[in-house]
Amino acid sequence: MILFLQILLIVSSLLLVLLVLLHRGRGGGLSSLFGGGMQSSLSGSSVVEKNLDRLTLFVGAIWIIAIVGIGLLVKVN
Amino acid sequence: MLGAFRSALATPDLRKKILFTLGIIVVYRLGATVPAPGVSFKNVKECVEEIDQQGIYSLINLFSGGALLNLSIFALGIMPYITASIIIQLLTVVIPRFEQLKKEGQSGQGKLTQYTRYLTIALAVLQSTGIVALAVRGQLFQNCSVDVIPDSSIFTLIVMVVTMTAGTSVIMWLGEIITEKGIGNGMSLLIFTGIAARIPTEGQNILQRGGLTFFLVCVAALLIIASVIYVEQAQRRIPVQYAKRMIGRRMYGGTSTYLPLKVNQAGVIPVIFASSLLYLPDLISRLTTSTTSEPGWWQTFVQTHLVSQSSPVHISLYFLLIVFFTYFYVGITFNPDERADEMKKFGGFIPGIRPGRPTAEYLRFVLGRITLPGSLYLGIVAILPNLFLDLTGTGQNQNFPFGGTAVLIMVGVGLDTVKQIESQLMQRNYEGFLR
Repeated sequence: MILFLQILLIVSSLLLVLLVLLHRGRGGGLSSLFGGGMQSSLSGSSVVEKNLDRLTLFVGAIWIIAIVGIGLLVKVN
Repeated sequence: MLGAFRSALATPDLRKKILFTLGIIVVYRLGATVPAPGVSFKNVKECVEEIDQQGIYSLINLFSGGALLNLSIFALGIMPYITASIIIQLLTVVIPRFEQLKKEGQSGQGKLTQYTRYLTIALAVLQSTGIVALAVRGQLFQNCSVDVIPDSSIFTLIVMVVTMTAGTSVIMWLGEIITEKGIGNGMSLLIFTGIAARIPTEGQNILQRGGLTFFLVCVAALLIIASVIYVEQAQRRIPVQYAKRMIGRRMYGGTSTYLPLKVNQAGVIPVIFASSLLYLPDLISRLTTSTTSEPGWWQTFVQTHLVSQSSPVHISLYFLLIVFFTYFYVGITFNPDERADEMKKFGGFIPGIRPGRPTAEYLRFVLGRITLPGSLYLGIVAILPNLFLDLTGTGQNQNFPFGGTAVLIMVGVGLDTVKQIESQLMQRNYEGFLR
Protein backbone atom coordinates (compact mmCIF):
# COMPACT_ATOMS: atom_id res chain seq x y z
CA MET A 1 0.00 0.00 0.00
CA ILE A 2 2.77 2.38 0.93
CA LEU A 3 4.64 1.45 -2.23
CA PHE A 4 1.54 2.19 -4.31
CA LEU A 5 1.15 5.59 -2.65
CA GLN A 6 4.82 6.34 -3.17
CA ILE A 7 4.60 5.57 -6.86
CA LEU A 8 1.42 7.65 -7.08
CA LEU A 9 3.27 10.46 -5.33
CA ILE A 10 6.17 10.36 -7.78
CA VAL A 11 3.86 10.37 -10.79
CA SER A 12 1.69 13.19 -9.45
CA SER A 13 4.78 15.21 -8.47
CA LEU A 14 6.19 14.99 -11.97
CA LEU A 15 2.80 15.89 -13.46
CA LEU A 16 2.50 18.82 -11.09
CA VAL A 17 5.90 20.23 -12.07
CA LEU A 18 4.99 19.84 -15.72
CA LEU A 19 1.60 21.51 -15.32
CA VAL A 20 3.01 24.46 -13.39
CA LEU A 21 5.65 24.96 -16.05
CA LEU A 22 2.96 24.90 -18.73
CA HIS A 23 1.32 27.95 -17.21
CA ARG A 24 2.15 31.19 -18.89
CA GLY A 25 4.70 32.97 -16.76
CA ARG A 26 2.62 35.95 -15.77
CA GLY A 27 5.58 37.97 -14.76
CA GLY A 28 4.71 36.84 -11.30
CA GLY A 29 7.28 37.02 -8.60
CA LEU A 30 10.48 38.92 -8.43
CA SER A 31 11.17 39.04 -12.12
CA SER A 32 8.24 41.40 -12.58
CA LEU A 33 9.97 43.76 -10.21
CA PHE A 34 12.94 43.66 -12.52
CA GLY A 35 11.38 44.39 -15.86
CA GLY A 36 10.12 47.70 -14.63
CA GLY A 37 6.48 48.06 -15.52
CA MET A 38 5.62 44.90 -17.29
CA GLN A 39 1.96 45.26 -16.49
CA SER A 40 -0.10 42.13 -16.60
CA SER A 41 -1.72 42.06 -19.97
CA LEU A 42 -5.35 43.03 -20.13
CA SER A 43 -6.25 39.96 -22.11
CA GLY A 44 -7.56 38.09 -19.05
CA SER A 45 -7.11 34.39 -18.64
CA SER A 46 -7.89 32.31 -21.67
CA VAL A 47 -9.88 29.09 -21.72
CA VAL A 48 -6.64 27.13 -21.88
CA GLU A 49 -5.38 28.80 -18.72
CA LYS A 50 -8.64 28.15 -16.94
CA ASN A 51 -8.59 24.46 -17.77
CA LEU A 52 -4.93 24.30 -16.83
CA ASP A 53 -5.77 25.85 -13.46
CA ARG A 54 -8.43 23.23 -12.85
CA LEU A 55 -6.13 20.39 -13.87
CA THR A 56 -3.35 21.72 -11.64
CA LEU A 57 -5.71 21.89 -8.68
CA PHE A 58 -6.86 18.33 -9.35
CA VAL A 59 -3.33 16.92 -9.54
CA GLY A 60 -2.36 18.99 -6.51
CA ALA A 61 -5.19 17.38 -4.54
CA ILE A 62 -3.95 13.89 -5.48
CA TRP A 63 -0.42 14.95 -4.49
CA ILE A 64 -1.53 16.11 -1.04
CA ILE A 65 -3.65 12.99 -0.49
CA ALA A 66 -0.70 10.77 -1.35
CA ILE A 67 1.60 12.64 1.05
CA VAL A 68 -0.86 12.60 3.94
CA GLY A 69 -1.69 8.96 3.21
CA ILE A 70 1.94 7.89 3.42
CA GLY A 71 2.36 9.86 6.62
CA LEU A 72 -0.65 8.19 8.24
CA LEU A 73 0.34 4.68 7.11
CA VAL A 74 3.86 5.11 8.48
CA LYS A 75 2.44 6.27 11.77
CA VAL A 76 0.09 3.29 12.03
CA ASN A 77 2.85 0.76 11.31
CA MET B 1 -7.45 54.47 9.12
CA LEU B 2 -10.21 52.13 10.25
CA GLY B 3 -12.55 53.77 7.79
CA ALA B 4 -10.15 52.85 5.01
CA PHE B 5 -10.27 49.27 6.17
CA ARG B 6 -14.02 49.31 6.05
CA SER B 7 -14.20 50.76 2.59
CA ALA B 8 -11.56 48.26 1.42
CA LEU B 9 -13.73 45.41 2.61
CA ALA B 10 -16.91 47.03 1.36
CA THR B 11 -15.72 47.12 -2.24
CA PRO B 12 -16.78 43.77 -3.67
CA ASP B 13 -13.90 42.94 -5.98
CA LEU B 14 -11.26 44.32 -3.67
CA ARG B 15 -12.70 42.23 -0.85
CA LYS B 16 -12.58 39.20 -3.11
CA LYS B 17 -8.92 39.87 -3.91
CA ILE B 18 -7.93 40.30 -0.27
CA LEU B 19 -9.75 37.16 0.82
CA PHE B 20 -8.23 35.21 -2.08
CA THR B 21 -4.74 36.31 -1.03
CA LEU B 22 -5.38 35.35 2.59
CA GLY B 23 -6.67 31.94 1.47
CA ILE B 24 -3.52 31.24 -0.56
CA ILE B 25 -1.37 32.28 2.41
CA VAL B 26 -3.26 29.82 4.63
CA VAL B 27 -2.63 27.04 2.10
CA TYR B 28 1.07 27.95 2.04
CA ARG B 29 1.38 27.88 5.83
CA LEU B 30 -0.47 24.58 6.07
CA GLY B 31 1.85 23.04 3.50
CA ALA B 32 4.86 24.31 5.40
CA THR B 33 3.90 22.16 8.40
CA VAL B 34 3.32 18.90 6.52
CA PRO B 35 6.44 16.77 6.80
CA ALA B 36 7.82 15.18 3.65
CA PRO B 37 7.14 11.44 3.30
CA GLY B 38 9.87 9.43 4.98
CA VAL B 39 10.71 12.06 7.57
CA SER B 40 10.00 11.16 11.14
CA PHE B 41 8.23 14.20 12.47
CA LYS B 42 8.76 13.20 16.10
CA ASN B 43 12.51 12.81 15.67
CA VAL B 44 12.78 16.13 13.86
CA LYS B 45 11.04 17.90 16.75
CA GLU B 46 13.43 16.26 19.17
CA CYS B 47 16.48 17.27 17.15
CA VAL B 48 15.35 20.86 16.75
CA GLU B 49 14.95 21.15 20.49
CA GLU B 50 18.23 19.40 21.19
CA ILE B 51 20.45 21.67 19.16
CA ASP B 52 18.35 24.78 19.68
CA GLN B 53 19.09 26.05 16.18
CA GLN B 54 22.73 26.66 15.60
CA GLY B 55 21.93 29.55 13.34
CA ILE B 56 23.75 28.14 10.38
CA TYR B 57 20.65 27.80 8.32
CA SER B 58 18.97 30.66 10.07
CA LEU B 59 18.64 32.93 7.06
CA ILE B 60 17.41 30.29 4.69
CA ASN B 61 15.12 28.99 7.40
CA LEU B 62 13.86 32.53 7.80
CA PHE B 63 12.78 32.74 4.18
CA SER B 64 10.96 29.43 4.33
CA GLY B 65 9.29 30.31 7.60
CA GLY B 66 10.76 27.45 9.59
CA ALA B 67 9.74 24.92 6.97
CA LEU B 68 13.31 23.95 6.17
CA LEU B 69 14.27 22.64 9.56
CA ASN B 70 10.99 20.75 9.73
CA LEU B 71 11.90 19.09 6.43
CA SER B 72 8.38 19.78 5.22
CA ILE B 73 7.10 19.44 1.67
CA PHE B 74 7.62 23.17 1.20
CA ALA B 75 11.06 22.97 2.79
CA LEU B 76 12.83 24.88 0.03
CA GLY B 77 10.38 27.74 0.11
CA ILE B 78 10.82 30.28 -2.66
CA MET B 79 14.59 30.26 -2.38
CA PRO B 80 15.13 28.44 -5.71
CA TYR B 81 12.94 30.99 -7.47
CA ILE B 82 14.86 33.89 -5.97
CA THR B 83 18.20 32.34 -6.86
CA ALA B 84 16.97 31.61 -10.37
CA SER B 85 15.87 35.20 -10.91
CA ILE B 86 19.20 36.49 -9.64
CA ILE B 87 21.06 34.23 -12.05
CA ILE B 88 18.88 35.15 -15.03
CA GLN B 89 19.21 38.87 -14.24
CA LEU B 90 22.99 38.60 -13.95
CA LEU B 91 23.07 36.67 -17.22
CA THR B 92 21.27 39.45 -19.10
CA VAL B 93 24.44 41.47 -18.68
CA VAL B 94 26.60 38.66 -20.02
CA ILE B 95 24.58 36.90 -22.73
CA PRO B 96 23.61 39.13 -25.69
CA ARG B 97 20.52 37.07 -26.51
CA PHE B 98 19.07 37.64 -23.05
CA GLU B 99 19.73 41.34 -23.32
CA GLN B 100 17.94 41.39 -26.65
CA LEU B 101 14.98 39.57 -25.10
CA LYS B 102 14.85 42.06 -22.28
CA LYS B 103 14.66 44.97 -24.68
CA GLU B 104 11.98 43.28 -26.74
CA GLY B 105 9.22 44.38 -24.42
CA GLN B 106 6.47 42.18 -23.14
CA SER B 107 6.96 39.03 -25.21
CA GLY B 108 10.69 39.00 -24.48
CA GLN B 109 10.07 39.54 -20.78
CA GLY B 110 7.62 36.64 -20.83
CA LYS B 111 10.29 34.43 -22.33
CA LEU B 112 12.80 35.47 -19.67
CA THR B 113 10.24 34.66 -16.97
CA GLN B 114 9.75 31.26 -18.56
CA TYR B 115 13.52 30.63 -18.46
CA THR B 116 13.52 31.67 -14.82
CA ARG B 117 10.82 29.12 -14.08
CA TYR B 118 12.71 26.30 -15.80
CA LEU B 119 15.85 27.23 -13.91
CA THR B 120 13.84 27.27 -10.69
CA ILE B 121 12.88 23.62 -11.11
CA ALA B 122 16.47 22.66 -11.92
CA LEU B 123 17.73 24.48 -8.82
CA ALA B 124 14.95 22.92 -6.75
CA VAL B 125 16.13 19.44 -7.74
CA LEU B 126 19.71 20.38 -6.80
CA GLN B 127 18.81 21.96 -3.48
CA SER B 128 16.36 19.29 -2.39
CA THR B 129 18.94 16.62 -3.16
CA GLY B 130 21.41 18.60 -1.09
CA ILE B 131 19.08 18.99 1.87
CA VAL B 132 18.00 15.36 1.83
CA ALA B 133 21.62 14.22 1.60
CA LEU B 134 22.52 16.42 4.56
CA ALA B 135 19.61 15.10 6.57
CA VAL B 136 20.45 11.45 5.88
CA ARG B 137 24.09 11.91 6.81
CA GLY B 138 23.03 13.63 10.01
CA GLN B 139 24.70 16.89 9.07
CA LEU B 140 21.56 18.96 9.05
CA PHE B 141 21.30 18.49 12.78
CA GLN B 142 24.79 17.97 14.05
CA ASN B 143 25.22 15.89 17.19
CA CYS B 144 21.60 14.78 17.26
CA SER B 145 20.98 11.41 18.87
CA VAL B 146 18.07 10.18 16.73
CA ASP B 147 17.75 9.63 12.99
CA VAL B 148 15.70 12.19 11.14
CA ILE B 149 14.98 9.81 8.30
CA PRO B 150 14.54 6.33 9.78
CA ASP B 151 14.26 4.44 6.49
CA SER B 152 17.18 5.56 4.35
CA SER B 153 16.70 3.35 1.31
CA ILE B 154 17.38 4.96 -2.05
CA PHE B 155 13.75 4.77 -3.11
CA THR B 156 12.49 6.71 -0.07
CA LEU B 157 15.10 9.37 -0.69
CA ILE B 158 14.08 9.72 -4.32
CA VAL B 159 10.45 10.10 -3.26
CA MET B 160 11.49 12.88 -0.87
CA VAL B 161 13.50 14.75 -3.48
CA VAL B 162 10.72 14.53 -6.05
CA THR B 163 8.13 15.67 -3.50
CA MET B 164 10.17 18.69 -2.42
CA THR B 165 10.74 19.67 -6.05
CA ALA B 166 7.02 19.48 -6.73
CA GLY B 167 6.47 21.50 -3.55
CA THR B 168 8.70 24.24 -4.91
CA SER B 169 6.78 24.36 -8.16
CA VAL B 170 3.53 24.58 -6.19
CA ILE B 171 4.91 27.54 -4.22
CA MET B 172 5.91 29.20 -7.47
CA TRP B 173 2.39 28.74 -8.77
CA LEU B 174 0.84 30.04 -5.54
CA GLY B 175 2.98 33.16 -5.78
CA GLU B 176 2.00 33.70 -9.38
CA ILE B 177 -1.72 33.41 -8.78
CA ILE B 178 -1.44 35.86 -5.88
CA THR B 179 0.22 38.33 -8.22
CA GLU B 180 -2.39 37.73 -10.88
CA LYS B 181 -5.66 37.40 -9.01
CA GLY B 182 -4.86 38.65 -5.53
CA ILE B 183 -3.25 41.78 -4.24
CA GLY B 184 0.42 42.62 -3.94
CA ASN B 185 3.43 40.75 -5.25
CA GLY B 186 2.98 37.03 -4.62
CA MET B 187 6.58 36.03 -4.02
CA SER B 188 7.38 38.80 -1.58
CA LEU B 189 4.11 38.23 0.26
CA LEU B 190 5.06 34.59 0.76
CA ILE B 191 8.43 35.61 2.18
CA PHE B 192 6.60 38.08 4.42
CA THR B 193 4.33 35.32 5.73
CA GLY B 194 7.27 33.10 6.51
CA ILE B 195 8.93 35.80 8.59
CA ALA B 196 5.77 36.96 10.33
CA ALA B 197 5.00 33.37 11.33
CA ARG B 198 8.12 33.31 13.49
CA ILE B 199 7.38 36.45 15.50
CA PRO B 200 5.36 34.78 18.29
CA THR B 201 7.98 32.13 19.08
CA GLU B 202 10.88 34.56 18.88
CA GLY B 203 9.01 37.01 21.07
CA GLN B 204 8.45 34.30 23.63
CA ASN B 205 12.16 33.47 23.64
CA ILE B 206 12.94 37.07 24.49
CA LEU B 207 10.17 37.27 27.08
CA GLN B 208 11.84 34.43 28.95
CA ARG B 209 14.91 36.60 29.39
CA GLY B 210 12.93 38.97 31.57
CA GLY B 211 10.29 41.62 31.26
CA LEU B 212 12.64 44.60 31.06
CA THR B 213 14.61 43.12 28.16
CA PHE B 214 11.37 42.39 26.35
CA PHE B 215 10.19 45.95 26.86
CA LEU B 216 13.50 47.40 25.63
CA VAL B 217 13.51 45.15 22.59
CA CYS B 218 9.96 46.20 21.74
CA VAL B 219 10.84 49.88 22.00
CA ALA B 220 13.94 49.37 19.85
CA ALA B 221 11.92 47.42 17.30
CA LEU B 222 9.32 50.19 17.06
CA LEU B 223 12.08 52.77 16.60
CA ILE B 224 13.70 50.71 13.86
CA ILE B 225 10.39 50.14 12.10
CA ALA B 226 9.54 53.85 12.23
CA SER B 227 12.92 54.85 10.84
CA VAL B 228 12.71 52.22 8.10
CA ILE B 229 9.31 53.57 7.04
CA TYR B 230 10.70 57.11 7.14
CA VAL B 231 13.51 56.26 4.74
CA GLU B 232 11.36 54.04 2.53
CA GLN B 233 8.95 56.90 1.92
CA ALA B 234 11.65 59.50 1.25
CA GLN B 235 11.92 60.69 -2.31
CA ARG B 236 13.48 63.45 -4.36
CA ARG B 237 11.04 65.24 -6.59
CA ILE B 238 12.55 66.48 -9.83
CA PRO B 239 10.31 69.11 -11.39
CA VAL B 240 9.22 68.46 -14.96
CA GLN B 241 7.54 71.12 -17.09
CA TYR B 242 5.39 70.15 -20.02
CA ALA B 243 5.15 72.45 -22.99
CA LYS B 244 1.76 73.60 -24.23
CA ARG B 245 0.75 72.32 -27.59
CA MET B 246 -2.28 72.53 -29.81
CA ILE B 247 -3.77 69.40 -31.29
CA GLY B 248 -6.71 70.39 -33.46
CA ARG B 249 -8.58 73.01 -31.49
CA ARG B 250 -7.69 71.78 -28.06
CA MET B 251 -4.81 72.71 -25.88
CA TYR B 252 -2.72 70.03 -24.21
CA GLY B 253 0.06 70.12 -21.66
CA GLY B 254 1.33 73.22 -19.98
CA THR B 255 1.32 71.48 -16.64
CA SER B 256 4.22 71.10 -14.29
CA THR B 257 4.63 67.83 -12.43
CA TYR B 258 7.52 66.07 -10.82
CA LEU B 259 9.46 62.88 -11.32
CA PRO B 260 9.77 61.09 -7.98
CA LEU B 261 13.10 59.37 -7.29
CA LYS B 262 13.00 57.28 -4.15
CA VAL B 263 16.02 57.28 -1.86
CA ASN B 264 15.75 53.53 -1.67
CA GLN B 265 14.67 52.81 -5.22
CA ALA B 266 15.59 49.15 -4.95
CA GLY B 267 13.36 48.17 -2.03
CA VAL B 268 14.19 44.95 -0.26
CA ILE B 269 15.52 43.05 -3.24
CA PRO B 270 19.24 43.74 -2.53
CA VAL B 271 18.87 42.34 0.99
CA ILE B 272 17.20 39.18 -0.27
CA PHE B 273 19.83 38.74 -2.97
CA ALA B 274 22.80 39.33 -0.71
CA SER B 275 21.63 36.91 1.94
CA SER B 276 20.81 34.18 -0.53
CA LEU B 277 24.23 34.59 -2.17
CA LEU B 278 25.97 34.32 1.20
CA TYR B 279 24.19 31.08 1.84
CA LEU B 280 25.54 29.34 -1.26
CA PRO B 281 29.18 28.76 -0.17
CA ASP B 282 27.89 27.30 3.08
CA LEU B 283 25.72 24.77 1.27
CA ILE B 284 28.55 23.81 -1.09
CA SER B 285 31.06 23.36 1.70
CA ARG B 286 28.66 21.19 3.67
CA LEU B 287 27.89 19.00 0.70
CA THR B 288 31.54 18.43 -0.09
CA THR B 289 32.54 17.67 3.48
CA SER B 290 32.69 13.97 4.18
CA THR B 291 31.76 12.81 7.64
CA THR B 292 34.96 10.90 8.25
CA SER B 293 37.90 12.92 7.00
CA GLU B 294 39.14 16.27 8.23
CA PRO B 295 37.56 19.32 6.57
CA GLY B 296 39.71 21.02 3.96
CA TRP B 297 41.19 24.48 4.43
CA TRP B 298 38.54 26.29 2.45
CA GLN B 299 35.75 24.50 4.27
CA THR B 300 37.07 25.65 7.60
CA PHE B 301 37.48 29.11 6.11
CA VAL B 302 33.84 29.15 5.04
CA GLN B 303 32.66 27.89 8.40
CA THR B 304 34.65 30.31 10.52
CA HIS B 305 34.43 33.45 8.41
CA LEU B 306 31.37 33.31 6.19
CA VAL B 307 28.87 31.37 8.25
CA SER B 308 29.57 32.69 11.69
CA GLN B 309 27.52 35.84 11.92
CA SER B 310 29.72 37.54 14.45
CA SER B 311 32.83 37.41 12.30
CA PRO B 312 33.85 40.73 10.76
CA VAL B 313 34.35 39.06 7.38
CA HIS B 314 30.74 37.96 7.29
CA ILE B 315 29.42 41.34 8.38
CA SER B 316 31.49 43.39 5.96
CA LEU B 317 30.85 41.02 3.05
CA TYR B 318 27.13 41.17 3.70
CA PHE B 319 27.27 44.97 3.81
CA LEU B 320 29.28 45.24 0.58
CA LEU B 321 27.01 42.80 -1.24
CA ILE B 322 23.96 44.83 -0.25
CA VAL B 323 25.53 48.06 -1.48
CA PHE B 324 26.53 46.41 -4.75
CA PHE B 325 23.11 44.89 -5.35
CA THR B 326 21.38 48.19 -4.61
CA TYR B 327 23.31 49.88 -7.40
CA PHE B 328 22.90 46.87 -9.66
CA TYR B 329 19.16 46.71 -9.15
CA VAL B 330 18.62 50.43 -9.58
CA GLY B 331 20.71 50.24 -12.75
CA ILE B 332 18.42 47.53 -14.09
CA THR B 333 15.08 49.02 -13.17
CA PHE B 334 15.63 52.70 -13.87
CA ASN B 335 16.98 53.64 -17.25
CA PRO B 336 17.74 57.41 -17.42
CA ASP B 337 18.10 57.39 -21.23
CA GLU B 338 14.66 55.89 -21.64
CA ARG B 339 13.10 58.34 -19.20
CA ALA B 340 14.72 61.29 -20.95
CA ASP B 341 13.52 60.04 -24.32
CA GLU B 342 10.00 59.62 -23.05
CA MET B 343 9.98 63.12 -21.62
CA LYS B 344 11.23 64.56 -24.88
CA LYS B 345 8.53 62.76 -26.82
CA PHE B 346 5.74 64.29 -24.79
CA GLY B 347 7.24 67.73 -24.76
CA GLY B 348 8.49 67.69 -21.20
CA PHE B 349 11.71 69.06 -19.81
CA ILE B 350 13.43 69.71 -16.53
CA PRO B 351 13.71 73.47 -16.00
CA GLY B 352 17.23 74.64 -16.77
CA ILE B 353 18.33 71.46 -18.53
CA ARG B 354 18.06 70.75 -22.23
CA PRO B 355 16.00 67.72 -23.26
CA GLY B 356 17.69 64.64 -24.63
CA ARG B 357 21.16 63.59 -23.58
CA PRO B 358 21.80 66.33 -20.97
CA THR B 359 18.56 65.36 -19.22
CA ALA B 360 19.60 61.71 -19.15
CA GLU B 361 22.96 62.68 -17.72
CA TYR B 362 21.33 64.86 -15.09
CA LEU B 363 18.98 62.04 -14.07
CA ARG B 364 21.88 59.62 -13.87
CA PHE B 365 23.85 62.06 -11.72
CA VAL B 366 20.98 62.61 -9.28
CA LEU B 367 20.20 58.90 -9.13
CA GLY B 368 23.81 58.01 -8.42
CA ARG B 369 23.96 60.55 -5.62
CA ILE B 370 20.65 59.55 -4.10
CA THR B 371 21.33 55.82 -4.21
CA LEU B 372 24.45 56.13 -2.06
CA PRO B 373 22.63 56.97 1.19
CA GLY B 374 19.91 54.51 0.19
CA SER B 375 22.36 51.65 -0.14
CA LEU B 376 24.26 52.59 3.02
CA TYR B 377 20.98 52.69 4.93
CA LEU B 378 19.98 49.24 3.67
CA GLY B 379 23.36 47.81 4.62
CA ILE B 380 23.41 49.36 8.08
CA VAL B 381 19.90 48.25 9.01
CA ALA B 382 20.64 44.74 7.76
CA ILE B 383 23.80 44.31 9.83
CA LEU B 384 22.40 46.09 12.88
CA PRO B 385 21.44 42.91 14.79
CA ASN B 386 24.93 41.46 14.28
CA LEU B 387 26.16 44.17 16.60
CA PHE B 388 23.83 43.10 19.40
CA LEU B 389 24.92 39.50 19.64
CA ASP B 390 24.57 39.27 23.39
CA LEU B 391 20.99 40.37 23.50
CA THR B 392 19.60 37.86 21.05
CA GLY B 393 21.86 34.91 21.67
CA THR B 394 24.48 33.68 19.24
CA GLY B 395 23.30 32.65 15.84
CA GLN B 396 19.81 33.94 16.40
CA ASN B 397 20.47 37.47 15.34
CA GLN B 398 19.76 37.31 11.62
CA ASN B 399 16.40 35.69 11.95
CA PHE B 400 15.66 37.87 14.90
CA PRO B 401 12.35 39.29 13.68
CA PHE B 402 12.67 42.69 15.35
CA GLY B 403 15.71 43.97 13.56
CA GLY B 404 17.75 43.81 10.40
CA THR B 405 16.85 41.76 7.39
CA ALA B 406 13.50 40.61 8.71
CA VAL B 407 12.25 44.12 9.52
CA LEU B 408 13.45 45.45 6.16
CA ILE B 409 11.60 42.76 4.30
CA MET B 410 8.45 42.98 6.39
CA VAL B 411 8.16 46.76 6.25
CA GLY B 412 9.02 46.87 2.56
CA VAL B 413 6.50 44.25 1.55
CA GLY B 414 3.87 45.65 3.89
CA LEU B 415 4.21 49.16 2.45
CA ASP B 416 4.07 47.83 -1.10
CA THR B 417 0.91 45.87 -0.45
CA VAL B 418 -0.82 48.73 1.35
CA LYS B 419 0.05 51.03 -1.54
CA GLN B 420 -1.49 48.61 -4.00
CA ILE B 421 -4.68 48.38 -1.97
CA GLU B 422 -4.69 52.13 -1.74
CA SER B 423 -4.39 52.64 -5.46
CA GLN B 424 -7.32 50.29 -5.91
CA LEU B 425 -9.28 52.34 -3.39
CA MET B 426 -8.36 55.56 -5.15
CA GLN B 427 -9.89 54.25 -8.34
CA ARG B 428 -13.19 54.16 -6.52
CA ASN B 429 -12.77 57.54 -4.84
CA TYR B 430 -12.22 56.31 -1.35
CA GLU B 431 -9.74 57.75 1.06
CA GLY B 432 -6.62 55.66 1.45
CA PHE B 433 -4.51 54.49 4.34
CA LEU B 434 -1.58 56.79 3.72
CA ARG B 435 -1.81 60.53 3.60
